[in-house]
Amino acid sequence: MAEVRLANVRKGYGEALAVDDLSLSIADGEFVALVGPSGCGKTTTLNMIAGLLEPDGGDILIDGRRVNDLDPKDRDIAMVFQNYALYPNKSVRKNLAFPLQMRGLARAEIARRVDEAARMLDIGHLLERRPRELSGGQQQRVALGRALVREPKVFLMDEPLSNLDAKLRVQMRSELKRFHQDLKATIVYVTHDQLEAMTMADRMAVMQGGKLQQYDTPERVYAHPANAFVASFVGSPAMNLIPVRVTDGGVAGGGVAGGGWALDLPPELLARARQARGGVLLGIRHGAIRLLPSAAPGTVAAEVLTVEPTGDITFLNLRLGDTDLVASVPPEQLIAAGQRLWLTFDMARLHLFDATSERAL
Amino acid sequence: MRRGFWPLAGWLYLGLLAVFSLLPMAWMLITSVKTQFAAIQFPPEWIPSHPTLDAYAELLSPGREIGRVFLRYLLNSLWVSTATTVLGVIVAVPAAYAFSRFRFPGRNLLFYGVLLRNMFPAVVFLMPLFIMMRFLGLVNTQLSLILTYLTFGLPLSIWLLKGFFDNIPIQLEQAARIDGASRFKAFLLVVMPLSSPGIIATAIYSFIQAWNEYVYALTFLNDDAKLTLPVGLQHFFTEYATNWPGLMAASFIMSVPVVAMFLVLQKYFVRALTDGAVKS
Amino acid sequence: MVRHRADYLYVAPAVLVMVLVIAYPVWFTFYLSMFSTPPNLALEDKIFVGLDNYARILGADSVHEASLNTLVWTVASTALAFVLGFGAALALNRPFRGRGLLRGILLVPYVISAVAAAYVWRWLLHSDLGVLSALAMATGLRSQPFNFLDNTDTVLASLIMVNVWKEFPFVMIMMLAGLQTVPDQLLRAAQVDGAGPWQRFWHITVPHLGNVSLVTVLLLLAANFNGFTIPWVMTGGGPAGASEIWITQIYQLAFGRIRFGLASAYSVILFAVMMTMGYFYVRALVGRDRAS
Repeated sequence: MAEVRLANVRKGYGEALAVDDLSLSIADGEFVALVGPSGCGKTTTLNMIAGLLEPDGGDILIDGRRVNDLDPKDRDIAMVFQNYALYPNKSVRKNLAFPLQMRGLARAEIARRVDEAARMLDIGHLLERRPRELSGGQQQRVALGRALVREPKVFLMDEPLSNLDAKLRVQMRSELKRFHQDLKATIVYVTHDQLEAMTMADRMAVMQGGKLQQYDTPERVYAHPANAFVASFVGSPAMNLIPVRVTDGGVAGGGVAGGGWALDLPPELLARARQARGGVLLGIRHGAIRLLPSAAPGTVAAEVLTVEPTGDITFLNLRLGDTDLVASVPPEQLIAAGQRLWLTFDMARLHLFDATSERAL
Repeated sequence: MRRGFWPLAGWLYLGLLAVFSLLPMAWMLITSVKTQFAAIQFPPEWIPSHPTLDAYAELLSPGREIGRVFLRYLLNSLWVSTATTVLGVIVAVPAAYAFSRFRFPGRNLLFYGVLLRNMFPAVVFLMPLFIMMRFLGLVNTQLSLILTYLTFGLPLSIWLLKGFFDNIPIQLEQAARIDGASRFKAFLLVVMPLSSPGIIATAIYSFIQAWNEYVYALTFLNDDAKLTLPVGLQHFFTEYATNWPGLMAASFIMSVPVVAMFLVLQKYFVRALTDGAVKS
Repeated sequence: MVRHRADYLYVAPAVLVMVLVIAYPVWFTFYLSMFSTPPNLALEDKIFVGLDNYARILGADSVHEASLNTLVWTVASTALAFVLGFGAALALNRPFRGRGLLRGILLVPYVISAVAAAYVWRWLLHSDLGVLSALAMATGLRSQPFNFLDNTDTVLASLIMVNVWKEFPFVMIMMLAGLQTVPDQLLRAAQVDGAGPWQRFWHITVPHLGNVSLVTVLLLLAANFNGFTIPWVMTGGGPAGASEIWITQIYQLAFGRIRFGLASAYSVILFAVMMTMGYFYVRALVGRDRAS
């Protein structure tokens, strides 16, 4: 296994920069997810690590060795594709054997490794079948098997679960995680699904517009988003972002005000809010909003627009002044649309972003 | 009422069209199994009263004058068409692959090439090419035909093959390259086997084109022994009488393999020929 | 950048060949059209005559007659082949048993060698022994054999019929492919909205076929404009020039009378007409794209 390092990597298509000055270190045995909306440059990045695309600038290092000019076959990597890319004219056995044949392994060794991978992934009974005779989940396993027979330095995975149905995806998610724990493999995993990144990765690299937005553990990315984009992208439902302006006076010496409502802030938050050059975006996740049935000091009134029970938790769409936001309550708490409620925000979990630069304050 | 009318009208239309389509082939076959005497009766014998394969036997017997000539033309046509096809595939496959996989300025040239080839009158090319062939000493050689067919067939062959390559997911090659194959090996071991139906279809298409070609063969060849079948058919007209059974039998032999090949592979041709027009 | 250059290597041979066989002949034809060439093809004896060849072509009565024929031949062949082929595509555009076989049968004219087809049709249309005459007589439509090809009034129409026979399958497969791109959902949505079959056809199917029809018509026009084999083999332009079109005249001029200079000028004129057609065509295409 190996570490992967990207240093100031750039890649453009025509005028547009798909990847803009990206630097990233992936430690040996680490599971890193590249996550972001489509077109954010994550797949381009993965293809550059694989050697399928050539960077326009910067260096890519695997185990300290610069691989920019190496062919994919010489980089000692394996890749799992979104559409699995199984060779349709070869049986499962031959699909698994192909990378070993390409490396000129002895026939007996190939057979041994194929059998071992098949046993590990529980696809032994499928070995003589053709890919099109397999279900999506089975194809997925074969694709994984073809990657792991090689015992490569790095596994690259490009949205490997997105063609599976929802139930199978959850199951494969935990299998992939166990696979990583067992093999101590270095994995670079591309996904547009922040939940996949959160649940599996040791660290997640959130990208947008070809730029790295934040690179940290899922817990820290969730708790301390570096900017408004990360805040809204990570977590579901998305964090509420409310444009507000900073006000002076009042008991606390200042606060924030939105359209038709105002709130005092504790001094420490207020000081941070005052660093903003223009307006401020107030960020608050649904779980950090407390709801009271009646008015109290430090609360603001909101109207319930819709109620969305999901079983474990009930989401409420609220109208606060001229903005909408999402809050949640336990399912036992019965609330009806049109009802009036009073909100308080958990100040420890309040996020402030500069409305112009979108950076966290 | 409405439910019944349109399908019925459709059937009727298709039936009439099918008769129209097949009439010449049918009459070709019927005439070819008549004697010369029976062939020139009027009104004609709709079904030959004494069917005979004499015309075919004559064409295929090297001992007879007409057979000797016919078999020679047949071999000439086979040679020209096969050589054109083999060379064409060798040149077109890498080009089509590049057009399908690589992004570079000038890719659209291919499309315009195909269009232009179809728009330019053959006669515009005929004179300069004839002069060029004369200059190269190739007039009255079959090589002149092979070269001409090859170059004129290329744009379409590349176009067809590109369509087939486009349908092979690029991830398969990427997977192969990551699995340890070089670009060339990935092409050879993964792309080629998957596109072999397309390559065969394209090869057969260019074979048919060369097999049926008339204008260039008519112009470039003048030595009787070198003619290809389409031009050679004129041999059945003499000053005094036309050997209609012989002409029809020869036309039949010339047409059947081509029609059969086309029909067997029609779904590939149809898809390949129409893909570009439908997408663009 | 380095990789880009390597990419060109794959296509360089093909591009070179295309330039050589398209660009060079076109240029050479232009060049030759300015010269009077001796009828023995000793091109070193050619004499520069400027635009003289053009004047002679444009002033010739036989060319004027052939121009009308060319127009009729091109337009009528294209229109009829399109109507016939589009009808076939519509009739075939629904699943039924034997559809593949029927499509195959209808494709036969398209694949069969044009020369063989021309000979068979010559035989079918034979003035004394032709099957079509016999059929007309057997059904009582006529009392005596009919001259299709030896009659200056009917020869061009006969050739057009044969040409349409040869070309309608091409329209059929193009339009069939086009029809298959018409989204089913849209048709169903229209049905739900209360549109009848004719309205669905007119408001949904037809607009969807715009592009493929334009491409098909262009290819047909070009093919017919340059159609050589059928008229040449069936009539050679006769009788009395009644089926003479530009392309057969050019061929006769070039390889019958070995007047390459004149024939080149004639080719350039034909070429210019084609390019003008192509220009308007591309403009129409671009205009449509802008509109949509």
